[in-house]
Amino acid sequence: MEEKSLEGWAPDIHDAATLAEAVDRAFDYRGDVTVLLDDGRELIGYLFNRNPDAAEPFVQMFEREGSGASSIPYARIRAIRFTGKDTAAGNSYAAWLRSKEAAKAASSPPGA
Amino acid sequence: MSVPVSQMWTVATYVLGQRLRGHTRYPLVLMLEPLFRCNLACAGCGKIQYPGHVLRKHLSVEQCLAAVEECGAPMVSIPGGEPLMYPEIGRLVTELVARRKYVYLCTNAILLKEKLQEGWFTPSKYLSFSVHMDGLKPEHDEAVCRDGVFDQAIEGIKEALRRGFRVTTNTTLFDNASPIRMQMFFDEMMDLGVEGMMLSPGYSYSKAPDQEHFLRRQKTNELFGKMLENPKKRWKFNQSPLFLQFLMGKQDFECTPWGNPTYNLFGWQRPCYLLQEGYAATFKELMETTRWEEYGRKSGNDKCQDCMVHCGHEPTAVNHTFTSWKGFRDTVAATVTGKL
Repeated sequence: MEEKSLEGWAPDIHDAATLAEAVDRAFDYRGDVTVLLDDGRELIGYLFNRNPDAAEPFVQMFEREGSGASSIPYARIRAIRFTGKDTAAGNSYAAWLRSKEAAKAASSPPGA
Repeated sequence: MSVPVSQMWTVATYVLGQRLRGHTRYPLVLMLEPLFRCNLACAGCGKIQYPGHVLRKHLSVEQCLAAVEECGAPMVSIPGGEPLMYPEIGRLVTELVARRKYVYLCTNAILLKEKLQEGWFTPSKYLSFSVHMDGLKPEHDEAVCRDGVFDQAIEGIKEALRRGFRVTTNTTLFDNASPIRMQMFFDEMMDLGVEGMMLSPGYSYSKAPDQEHFLRRQKTNELFGKMLENPKKRWKFNQSPLFLQFLMGKQDFECTPWGNPTYNLFGWQRPCYLLQEGYAATFKELMETTRWEEYGRKSGNDKCQDCMVHCGHEPTAVNHTFTSWKGFRDTVAATVTGKL
């Protein structure tokens, strides 16, 4: 069974536990996310790492328009939205098999 | 076994040196991923599903070399993504060979012939093209989800061999593999003249599109048991015979997750090549702060229960060879007799 994609999800973050869960989901998500900071800025990019065990827990992102990685403390995050396309969603293997079957059927002579 | 003596010697002295210094955790092969971009989208691959701006990025040669120095492993495997799409792959390989690292450039070989004709590489005992081949033509083209790739890979292999390069193959097996068809595949690869073949069961990446065909442990034993029951003398495997025996159910090895550490755009991947549970900024941090006891079959970790993949278990097999008389004896016996 394929897990439902989180694309479009905007979790309600109201305490440390919900923030930690949203960060974990964002870390696992294979698309860009939008992170709203405490100063009102929005960062859009790929969240590739998080360390909840550090003295000051942080996430790391490659911003969509930036070049290097940036580090953001958990304490500065107000919201995370799963705004980018989930690149792991869908079942390309099944789709490929379907298209192969369709191509085979199309190339077979009628009545074969 | 087809590993050259000089490479075996390098590995043996490295392992023994680590043991003499009292090191219990040391890397054997650095998995260096300079990019995630690939010209294929194989069903069993969980490595390339990233947004476009991430796929367009790659490590610099200097970042790669710093990782190689920091890690210190005698062998460097360059997977990806497709390493032949890395614009500086020629310079990177030249630098690694100059450092006497045994390099396995893991490629689907779609671009191999072209890059060889353009003079990107020079033959060396330190460089081997490890070509991804998941079986005979129908099986391979199905595994990579594109028709015609098998023929392109064969062209690439022939060109590399003609130019004097070391060529091995790497094959990932899923539960739909046929032992007889795989034996035919081994014959075909040997007829081509490759130095050796590497086999591994697939790992069920949570992000891989095809979740239905990954091998479970018992099925892995059955498949490899049938496939390698009476191996032909001419089949050469570029990997530890004890690892193959493990796949056949004749050896019981635990995972060595730090054996093949992975470095890529995100840093040092925890805990292994297959699981992505976070990244460390340095190799030292990876080794010292990863909770290694949470991984491997004995740990009870669900994600590790069916895993028999080479990157965690081949280091255990190699370590067993060079640190126990039984392991050494079994390895010598398998190498001399060709029996697994």
